[in-house]
Amino acid sequence: MKLDTLRHLTSEDLGKALKLNSPDPLLDKLVSLGLPSKKSEAYRYFDSESLLSPVYNMLDYMPQTIQEADKVEIVNGSVITAPKDLRVYYAASAEIDMEHYDPLYFLGHLLSPHVIIIEIDGDREVDLLHRFTQSNTLIHYRIVIKNQANRHATVYESFESDHAQGSLVLYGYDIHIAQDSTFRMIKNQTINDEAYSIIASHYINVGKQAHIMLKYFDFGNTSALQLLKIDLGEYAHIEAGHLLYISGRARRGTVSQIVHKGEHSSSMQESKNILEDGSRGIFDALIRVEHPAKYTKAEQNSKAVLLGESSYMVSKPQLEIYIDELEASHGATTGQLDEAQLFYLQSRGISKHEAKKMLIIAFANTLIEKVKDSRHQELISDSFEKAFYAHEV
Amino acid sequence: MSSLKIENIHVKIGDKEILKGLSLTLEEGKVHVIMGPNGSGKSTLHKAIVGHYDTEITSGEIEYKNKSLLELNPEERALDGLFMSFQNPVEIPGVNNAYFLRTALNAKRKHEGKEELNAAEFLRVMKGHLEALEMKSDMISRSLNEGFSGGEKKRNEILQMLILEPDVILLDEIDSGLDIDALRAVSEGINKMKDGKRSFLVITHYSRILDYIEPDYIHVLKDGKIMKTAGVELVAQLEADGYDSIEDESL
Repeated sequence: MKLDTLRHLTSEDLGKALKLNSPDPLLDKLVSLGLPSKKSEAYRYFDSESLLSPVYNMLDYMPQTIQEADKVEIVNGSVITAPKDLRVYYAASAEIDMEHYDPLYFLGHLLSPHVIIIEIDGDREVDLLHRFTQSNTLIHYRIVIKNQANRHATVYESFESDHAQGSLVLYGYDIHIAQDSTFRMIKNQTINDEAYSIIASHYINVGKQAHIMLKYFDFGNTSALQLLKIDLGEYAHIEAGHLLYISGRARRGTVSQIVHKGEHSSSMQESKNILEDGSRGIFDALIRVEHPAKYTKAEQNSKAVLLGESSYMVSKPQLEIYIDELEASHGATTGQLDEAQLFYLQSRGISKHEAKKMLIIAFANTLIEKVKDSRHQELISDSFEKAFYAHEV
Repeated sequence: MSSLKIENIHVKIGDKEILKGLSLTLEEGKVHVIMGPNGSGKSTLHKAIVGHYDTEITSGEIEYKNKSLLELNPEERALDGLFMSFQNPVEIPGVNNAYFLRTALNAKRKHEGKEELNAAEFLRVMKGHLEALEMKSDMISRSLNEGFSGGEKKRNEILQMLILEPDVILLDEIDSGLDIDALRAVSEGINKMKDGKRSFLVITHYSRILDYIEPDYIHVLKDGKIMKTAGVELVAQLEADGYDSIEDESL
């Protein structure tokens, strides 16, 4: 399939091209938003066109028996393993966010009418591994995650690939965070050496008095984009962080919309970006405070360290506010390594080269250290240092 | 015998000339104290000696260990035995203090052709110093200077000095913001380093630290030059008459 050929089609023709048997309101949404291009708001700084123009092989999604293992493993979009006591199954997609701003969110749902459902009961941690083993293929799937009220769930998401060159992965979550629960999601993603590209389009609905923590660790030298739409209910809270370390010609980052819908909801979003020469980081983040969301607290912060003359950071923290009773702030800084810090280390006999490395790792550590589980903190730290030293060599 | 000789240096910060032909010789094993009004160039002198990026030496020479210091970058100066305690040490979130100290010590040991210390060996070296400076042991597991109080930052500077065992020690207002107990602990740390060979160049505004560290020379820096040099008795004169009473001796 060549995704570019879906551009400018009518809903009817799009339905035919996607081999759908009946009209679907998602088709109208996709047509009205249009496929990503340089003119699309969400994809303005990301080179989406080069990812939509190749002809991709399509996968036959055959239902497979899910084997028992300690983690959920999804290979090329199909669940291969899952822990015995975790409910993982396929079902028709439901509860789609019709207000999502991303056309590929709708395309993803149209391509994947059956989604992977993960229901997390009780307090627990889930390891979720995505593995890609097909080259030049469009790998698409969607996942729905649900947790229980008053419970604490954590999902550790990681990625592996083998011979997946030239593939495009379109995946994403619809996550429904139950009332009074805590949900944490830690993503550890390293994609190197043109292995594959990935566009992840998520929708997260945070219920009343629920707390969600998202920490994304994103490293490597290929292009990837994640697009988030998050709705916050009454007294709901989100803490979202993104650490980016990219090199080469990578275009990578986060486009997000956090929508405060309920009173007393709060959001804290922070983005840290380390960009080697030639790469482009993206933090295009909107916080919208809607009319019912009185007493909202919202904070956005983006920091970027440019390590090369042609590295480039797009930092667009934005607030769209429709009420008076709130506390909101946002800010962005982009620059080189701090000269005073660099000098301090040098003045103790540490070489400039070593001092730079220490400061870069330190900048990354301020976010990595927020992962409280020591095993996963170590894994993320290793991923970062591997990506960092691989580039240095 | 001199350990560091500054000859007629002119130093600019930005477009402004701060030091205007300053000369000073640090004698081996002696404690030299620099006093002077605010903005006279005391901190600029320290910065110029250690090669701070703010400073530009437009003329003059600084000779150290029989070579020109000006040819060396900041880390080479440090490895060769220069140490400056900062007036306001910078905070570096994410750099673990112990890791930083061990990296600095091992860089010095490598430079001197010695074996590098592993973490356990390093902690043994640290333990005695921490106790002497009355520092909490958790300070070395925190990020470098992050969230440290003014006193903790100064103690951490002295800790670095003790570990690195430099030959020439520049202390920039090490006594400012310290309570009596901290001043005593910091002064004891400084006195521990006196071995008859190390030289000290101490910037201070107050005489109280001089009760602890016993200076050999007091220099008054004013208008970018050393105006007067005398023994410790000069401090009493300065406190009584102020800096206006000092005339340029070199004229």
